[in-house]
Amino acid sequence: MESTIIKSRNFNASFGTNHVVKNVNIDIPRNHIIAVMGPSGCGKTTYLRCINRMHELIPGATSNGEMKLNDEDVYQMHPIFVRLKIGMVFQRPNPFPNLSIYDNVIAGYKLNGVKLPKAERDEIVERSLTKVALWKEVKDSLNKKGSFLSGGQQQRLCIARTVAMEPEVILFDEPTSALDPISTSTVEELFHELKANYTLIIVTHNMQQAARVSDKTAFFFLGELVEYDETKTMFTNPKDQRTQNYITGRFS
Amino acid sequence: MAQLETELQSLKTEAVNMWSLVNSQLNKARQAFITFDKDLAREVVLKEKRVNGSELKIDRDCENIFALFCPVAIDLRFLLAVLKINSNLERIGDIAEGIAKYIIDAESPFSEDLLKVTRILPMYEESVNMLSDTQDAFEKEDTILARSVFKKDDFLDNVNRSSHKVLEEYIQKHPEETAQALWILSTIRKLERVGDQAKNIAEEIIFYLEAKVLKHKGKFA
Amino acid sequence: MDGKNIKFRLGKSYGFQGLVYVLAFACVIPLLAILYFIIKAGVTKINWHLLVNIPKPVNEVGGGIANALVGSIIIILVASVIAIPIGIMAGIYLSENRKSRLAYWCRLSTDILQGVPSIVVGIVAYFWLVRPWDLGPIHHKGGFSALSGSVALAIMMLPIIVRSTEETLKLLPDSLKEAALALGMPFHRVIFKVIVPVGISGILSGVMLSVARITGETAPLLFTAFGNPYLSVNIGKPMHSLPLLIFNYATSPYNDWHDLAWSASLILLIWVLFLNIFTKVITRKWKVQL
Repeated sequence: MESTIIKSRNFNASFGTNHVVKNVNIDIPRNHIIAVMGPSGCGKTTYLRCINRMHELIPGATSNGEMKLNDEDVYQMHPIFVRLKIGMVFQRPNPFPNLSIYDNVIAGYKLNGVKLPKAERDEIVERSLTKVALWKEVKDSLNKKGSFLSGGQQQRLCIARTVAMEPEVILFDEPTSALDPISTSTVEELFHELKANYTLIIVTHNMQQAARVSDKTAFFFLGELVEYDETKTMFTNPKDQRTQNYITGRFS
Repeated sequence: MAQLETELQSLKTEAVNMWSLVNSQLNKARQAFITFDKDLAREVVLKEKRVNGSELKIDRDCENIFALFCPVAIDLRFLLAVLKINSNLERIGDIAEGIAKYIIDAESPFSEDLLKVTRILPMYEESVNMLSDTQDAFEKEDTILARSVFKKDDFLDNVNRSSHKVLEEYIQKHPEETAQALWILSTIRKLERVGDQAKNIAEEIIFYLEAKVLKHKGKFA
Repeated sequence: MDGKNIKFRLGKSYGFQGLVYVLAFACVIPLLAILYFIIKAGVTKINWHLLVNIPKPVNEVGGGIANALVGSIIIILVASVIAIPIGIMAGIYLSENRKSRLAYWCRLSTDILQGVPSIVVGIVAYFWLVRPWDLGPIHHKGGFSALSGSVALAIMMLPIIVRSTEETLKLLPDSLKEAALALGMPFHRVIFKVIVPVGISGILSGVMLSVARITGETAPLLFTAFGNPYLSVNIGKPMHSLPLLIFNYATSPYNDWHDLAWSASLILLIWVLFLNIFTKVITRKWKVQL
């Protein structure tokens, strides 16, 4: 029985007078991987950042409409709580450069002033790094700075940092566009493993990635959600002509 | 990419299953032919639905893999080969059904002389062997085995070519068995097509494994 | 392109190259000259006796610069205590709020303050803290004090600290802040636990630079700290400082005092040099590789 974890109804977002996300209605099922794709400037990243309320941090940014996490309106909750339940991984890997790998993973707790006994901290670090297939590679150099890892490893470290907070949903904003192909495919394999415990929403401008990785795909165009369907259907027989044009590359 | 590998593996399994299915159809038709067993023939006709269903499923799975994964190199050749082999197998299935239908409609078993002089039984056996060989070649990725299929086809062509003359003479000697003789001729044509399909399958296997296109070329490229 | 033309152009190129080198060297000459003269004149006079004694009355042999040395240290310390927290906070505010009205006025004030002559700052401090005033029941006694000198110097330190903090924090990528916010951190923690620690080397170098800047300021101290012939550590009372000592003694007719002035200059110079070198070392060591 799938339950819907994130629900949007009539959701709009703007930057000042620039109406970027128009009337989005979408149901995101639990423990699925949802890809959000579309050309540049179609509003997909803006919509993603509305889910965990990062959008409103930009001066002049507004939004309205319903955005529910487990039937609770995200905009009625305190943003801090929202972000504890909905984590985010960004395009450029951004581990904290002044912290060691160990401290990076536990940063969500440590920098928030949550004091945990060492055993529990060690356990969280090991568990999170194992989940992102990084534990074996770094377990002997946990005290080194995060910035000494390669791009792909740094991105996995950021994912470990997010996973350590045990969110319910993880948002990915073009997570592999700054990585080389091998790191990209390592991270993509990670998505399949993470699916078991989290719901993943991945914004990508790489259609092939959306096709390879996701269960359902949402296609945004000029701020509207044009089509939202099973990925297999979307890529073999899309219902909307705009989707077909985009997928076949008739326009970018 | 683990996902793609899983999908390709399951597609291979499906293709092999269809192979076995068609193989058993052809074999059963042969058994029915030899022993004039109409019940067995009816089984073959009924099972043809499964063959068709299998073809549709494999086609759809190939389409999905193409759409979702954009495979390249050997994966691409594998998928292209499987698509073609799929339709070849389905046609062989149709032929087996056709033979079975004849047996159901036939009024009496065939005369021994007729069978011997046309060499239809060895031809049938050889065509079944060709199909099994292609299956083995696919499963084991053995191009040498695949190539050996071409030579076997020579025998089938031989029987087919000589069948015209042989049957003409036979009908002149035994005009009462004309109907049977015509029927045997038709079956020989069908079996020759089975041989051709098997040869096409072998060419596709070599294309997939070696990227060599043997179609429309001499036999041993 | 004929040979003569090329030769001329090459010649011109070398000529300019030579000119650039000569002028660059010309920049180094003043520093070398200063170092040479001061070291030559002051190095022989430096000894423990000098550092530990206070100046003696005219025509008595001996004497030192102890009160000026201690005084300078105290005045600068108090100025730092006043200026650093305010400066860093203002810098953080400016880096976070680019467009608000307060930010505009703050930035404008800082820029103007940077250009205000030091003597004017001294006069302002004089009016605030040295002259007595009455505001209703509150009566400010007034009088020269080290505190007023520190306040004047703090006002001069502020623009440098604010600007360098703001610039350092502005250079930090947004992704750092976003990463912290996405982990559910409240804003004040993002600033103090993530942004400031990563930018600490830039902020610190700004602080060091401002200290180096005010070390030698004389004009504001002329009518605030005023000077004191005796060793004092009371910041409510007048206090001596090295620049004041140099100012007074170098223009006096006595040779003893000239010697003291030279040695004080040398000490000041060493102090400033050391601060700059220290800043560079710390900046490199604590710089976070982004």
